[in-house]
Amino acid sequence: MAPHSNGTSPHWSLKSGVHQQGCPELQVLLGITGKDFTLIAASKAAMRGATILKAADDKTRQLNKNTLMAFSGEAGDTVQFAEYIQANAQLYSMRNETDLSPSALANFVRGELASSLRSRKPYNVNLLLGGVDPITDKPSLYWLDYLASLAPVPYAAHGYAQYYCLSILDKHHQPDITLERGMELLNLCADELKRRLPIDFKGLVVKAVTKDGTVEMPFDNDRIVKSA
Amino acid sequence: MSRRYDSRTTIFSPDGRLYQVEYALEAISHAGTAIGILAKDGIVLAAERKVTSKLLEQDTSAEKLYILNDNMICAVAGMTADANILINYARQAAQRYLLTYNEDIPCEQLVRRLCDLKQGYTQHGGLRPFGVSFIYAGWDPQRQFQLYLSNPSGNYGGWKATSSGANHASAQSLLKQDYKEDCTLKEACGMAVKVLSKTMDSTKLSSEKIEFATVGQTKDGKIYHKLWSAEEINQLLKEHDLAKDETAEEK
Amino acid sequence: MASGYDRALSVFSPDGHVFQVEYAGEAVKRGTCAVGVKGKDVVVLGCEKRSAMKLQDTRITPSKIGLIDTHVCLAFAGLNADARILVDKARLEAQSHRLNLEDPVTIEYITKYVAGVQQRYTQSGGVRPFGISTLIVGFDKGSELPRLYQTEPSGIYSAWKANAIGRSSKTVREFLERNYKEDMDREATVRLAIKSLLEVVQTGAKNIEIAIMAPGQAVEMLPVEDIESYVKNIEQEKQEEAAKKKTGRTPGTGSAAILTRPAQDEPGDQ
Repeated sequence: MAPHSNGTSPHWSLKSGVHQQGCPELQVLLGITGKDFTLIAASKAAMRGATILKAADDKTRQLNKNTLMAFSGEAGDTVQFAEYIQANAQLYSMRNETDLSPSALANFVRGELASSLRSRKPYNVNLLLGGVDPITDKPSLYWLDYLASLAPVPYAAHGYAQYYCLSILDKHHQPDITLERGMELLNLCADELKRRLPIDFKGLVVKAVTKDGTVEMPFDNDRIVKSA
Repeated sequence: MSRRYDSRTTIFSPDGRLYQVEYALEAISHAGTAIGILAKDGIVLAAERKVTSKLLEQDTSAEKLYILNDNMICAVAGMTADANILINYARQAAQRYLLTYNEDIPCEQLVRRLCDLKQGYTQHGGLRPFGVSFIYAGWDPQRQFQLYLSNPSGNYGGWKATSSGANHASAQSLLKQDYKEDCTLKEACGMAVKVLSKTMDSTKLSSEKIEFATVGQTKDGKIYHKLWSAEEINQLLKEHDLAKDETAEEK
Repeated sequence: MASGYDRALSVFSPDGHVFQVEYAGEAVKRGTCAVGVKGKDVVVLGCEKRSAMKLQDTRITPSKIGLIDTHVCLAFAGLNADARILVDKARLEAQSHRLNLEDPVTIEYITKYVAGVQQRYTQSGGVRPFGISTLIVGFDKGSELPRLYQTEPSGIYSAWKANAIGRSSKTVREFLERNYKEDMDREATVRLAIKSLLEVVQTGAKNIEIAIMAPGQAVEMLPVEDIESYVKNIEQEKQEEAAKKKTGRTPGTGSAAILTRPAQDEPGDQ
């Protein structure tokens, strides 16, 4: 029976669950806001089934000077969608000679995901969008998933990383932490992921957004963590 | 001479002018005066009402001043019917932006949307240009309070004080004379009625003849806009000795 | 006479003219002047700027020089509102090109695109042509070669070493023809742009806008103080030259000497 003929089976059900290419649940996305910055980290492994295709993948795209987006989900969909959003953000910047705020961009992305979700072939992409407001200099972080949920959050994770990292961040995160402290928290999270995740996610790419722009942060991915 | 280049849609004349647009501007210079003044804590828009009748419902039939969205209002000079089309378009554009970005549309962008539409009517076939100028008053986080003027050609500019419609040349020179940088909204309101009283045909003003609106900021930082009621306008006129009744007769 | 053939939008007259396009060219000539000058590894756009009236809000007044993409800059002469529409189309194409081809547009490509849009408006039904000419400058990705193109209302585009459009463009172009040198450095290029504009702008620095592009860098709008010091310098030299002529010296050190004079005495530039 064709998947469309049955009203009880939504047409996107074929794509959710474990049959997806690229193992979205095993891709690590982390985000932390602090006093004057937003940190975003993403795992470097590009996977297909049980195989690692690449160990230096960058799952982030810079949307404008002070907004960064990290993505996980179906291979192909992710980059396609992220670059589509990136092009729109840059078009806005060129047309209006001003950048969209992270909040405006998050809502724009949510709208795009929502209309994609109701199309014949929806994007299967989960996102963290973080940045610093160009006018107020306030940092912000938004959690979005492929069902077009949108939530502003102080810290966030996607995939299995949620199970391991959110509790750590619940305990240690404060709204006014410094960038150094933010990096320490990321190290705690990375250690726990290495300890608990059943695969090698090949370390993290870490980027910090401040009012001056986006920089890649040095991050020690070589530390060996022994499991209990 | 010019007859040949103004009979159809908007096309270039041999010296590179667009007569239809220039005639549209001409139409506006017969309309009631509208002025806008930018103060440090707000903006005032004031306009002369042409249709006056005792039978007219004062509060519900605005002729010149319209709300575009939560942080922007505008004054119209020219053909009101054309203006209605553009105002509808602007309101929709503003709401569409709000839906997409969950933020109010920046003032200049809304002005530009309208002006792009106006430009289209000077270039695409078969349509005459819109016969309206707008004065926009608005606020956004990037540039705070802003005042714009746009005309039928689709050009726009930002102003500290500006005017449109009949007598706009004399209104403009009066504004130039009286405008003070960093004036307060209250002072701006006073200046607005004074300028109107001098540019309108009748020296006596009354709430029937003018419309008044302000954009400002409340004590807790919220942006408000307000179309003034007849009583409020009369009160203001009294304060500045411009009211129709006894004070005028004394002179 | 042309009777009748210039009324229907953009059709041929019996003697082969498309009048609407020619008249659009007149609209361009009514616009303020813009110049573009290529140097060795720099390209400069200069614009005549109407002086702001007292009550104008200087934060907002739109500029005649705009960015199409981070590496492409455009100046126009003609109808402001038309330019806004055309620039917007070009910006959309530039980003769409980036998304689809994974490369920023080349300057020639975007020029062709702009000219193509302009051409379409000379041939489609019920539209009048765009009443603008544009100068498009910039550097292709990974290239050190400055580019300068011009487009016209007819849809013609052409590459130039230096050119002017708008009011009195003929005077300015002739000035550029006389004074252009190959391989000018940044100083000399900016100086030539300003000097050529001064041929038509009497009121000096406050009515001039200058944009400078260099390979791989963001566009730089020259601050008004810097333009002022250039203008002062140029005017001083003109006076000296005039004084020399009066005292009956041989005009051996003519305009060529002015251009090649070292510019170390000019402040405001690093």
